Amino acid sequence: MTLGSFLTNIINIMAKYWQVFLLRGIGYTLLLSIIAVAGGAFFGSIFALLKRSRIVVFKAIISAIVSVVRGTPMLLQLYIGVFVFPMIIPKLASLPYIYSVTIVLIINSSAYVSEIIRSGIEAVDPGQMEAARSLGLTQHTAMLSIVLPQAIKNILPALGNEFIMVVKETSLASTFFVGELMTSYLLVKGNTYLTMECLFIVGVLYFALTFILSKGLAAWERRMKAHA
Amino acid sequence: MLEVNGIYKNFGDLQVLKGVHLNVEKGEVVSIIGVSGSGKSTLLRCMNLLEEPTFGEVWMEGRLMTPVDPYLHEDVIRASNTFKKLVADGMNDTDAIHKIKDEDLLKEKRKGAEGAEYAALMQKIYDENHIDINLGRQKMGMVFQNFNLFNNKTVKENITLAPVKIGKQRLKAAKKRGEKTVKTPADIEAEANARAMQLLERIGLQDKADVYPSTLSGGQRQRVAIIRALAMDPDVMLFDEPTSALDPEMVGEVLDLIKDLVRSGMTSVIVTHEMGFAKEVSDRVIFMHDGVIAEEGTPDQVFNHTKNPRCKEFLSKVLY
Repeated sequence: MTLGSFLTNIINIMAKYWQVFLLRGIGYTLLLSIIAVAGGAFFGSIFALLKRSRIVVFKAIISAIVSVVRGTPMLLQLYIGVFVFPMIIPKLASLPYIYSVTIVLIINSSAYVSEIIRSGIEAVDPGQMEAARSLGLTQHTAMLSIVLPQAIKNILPALGNEFIMVVKETSLASTFFVGELMTSYLLVKGNTYLTMECLFIVGVLYFALTFILSKGLAAWERRMKAHA
Repeated sequence: MLEVNGIYKNFGDLQVLKGVHLNVEKGEVVSIIGVSGSGKSTLLRCMNLLEEPTFGEVWMEGRLMTPVDPYLHEDVIRASNTFKKLVADGMNDTDAIHKIKDEDLLKEKRKGAEGAEYAALMQKIYDENHIDINLGRQKMGMVFQNFNLFNNKTVKENITLAPVKIGKQRLKAAKKRGEKTVKTPADIEAEANARAMQLLERIGLQDKADVYPSTLSGGQRQRVAIIRALAMDPDVMLFDEPTSALDPEMVGEVLDLIKDLVRSGMTSVIVTHEMGFAKEVSDRVIFMHDGVIAEEGTPDQVFNHTKNPRCKEFLSKVLY
């Protein structure tokens, strides 16, 4: 295999299958990542607040979820999710795997994000909460208007990293052929038998995706910093 | 007006406050002095419950902010099973009460252990006197050593945040009760903004209204922190070493503002290391040592004629 034929093959593959890679592959990868991170940020915040609450039962449940998610491989979680969720929610059985996969990704991301948010909240000077409470604001209001905004600003870099991690982790979902970028690789390789070329294309696309994301997040961070 | 009764505060095994009684009258200026670790700041923080006292009660304008402390109510002790048992065993009333107080014998931790009469009396005292902790705090302004301005808010937002949030809460509550309200949320915001600008003008920082606190000097930050507390129209101001974190050249501007406030009749409790200041502005000076009030009196009594050896020693070490 010469470099020339390698490049020609890539061009030919892209000419024929660009929709599979660029539209379906990247589309699903981004869709899964955004849902996972958005869901993760939402449920992660709730997890973090519950874990800081005084109610011991909540604390224990959240700690258990976080420990299990962080202590087992993502791939195993996906397998379990794909087999177990349809048993719990019968409706899922008739739907494509992507629904169960999305739920697993959200739970996984929630666990990691909750730890990030918890550390962010703990990094905010306790004096901020005290000052708010001393003015007669409720715990709830003080948390929402003073502590959380500062915590979120502190953890933006870590959240950005989590987003990039999720983008890469969605590749594991290709085990269930849900249509994201790694699934595109499996599809096109199956049709063309050109393994190296397809891997190269997918690799470049993943890199481009995460590179643009990290640059975009860095710019956003700079803007957030400039505003305080 | 602000009364702390039999306050004890333990941090784990460490006893920081060991039974402090203090009653601050309306318009009175009380300074609290003493060495570091004597419990002055903890006492101040117990007053608005940033620290929860282990025992004791805090009363603000005749309303109870803490839970009821049974040891401060003889009738409650008399209603307890422990007391009844001691008396039945042949002890006289006064001794039994002393024994219960001294040895912390009430088993209130286990609910119902002291009998129905005890529980009912505790509940009655609580229901008759209790005030929501946030309502109590709205009447107390607190100024911190480290300013604690909200970093994510501009100077003006720092000042208006609490009045706006609490004003809207009150409006909502009034509507829920079915009362007719003339004010709208927009009115509340406009009022708070006007008041904030008026307060900023008072300290000459109106041009800083829209900057973030991080761009201010220490002295400016503390002055903004003081007017932030004033924006809630408190009845009493609590100052927790307001100048200790400042560069020397900025102490003056903050002390001047506090003096100004005090002269306008604001009831104040000031924990401070500025002895000259305490001497000048206070109606009453309290010297704390080892978790109790060791000396108390007018500035002249405490600074010039104290008999307390600890207080003498302390004053001889600090220059003023």
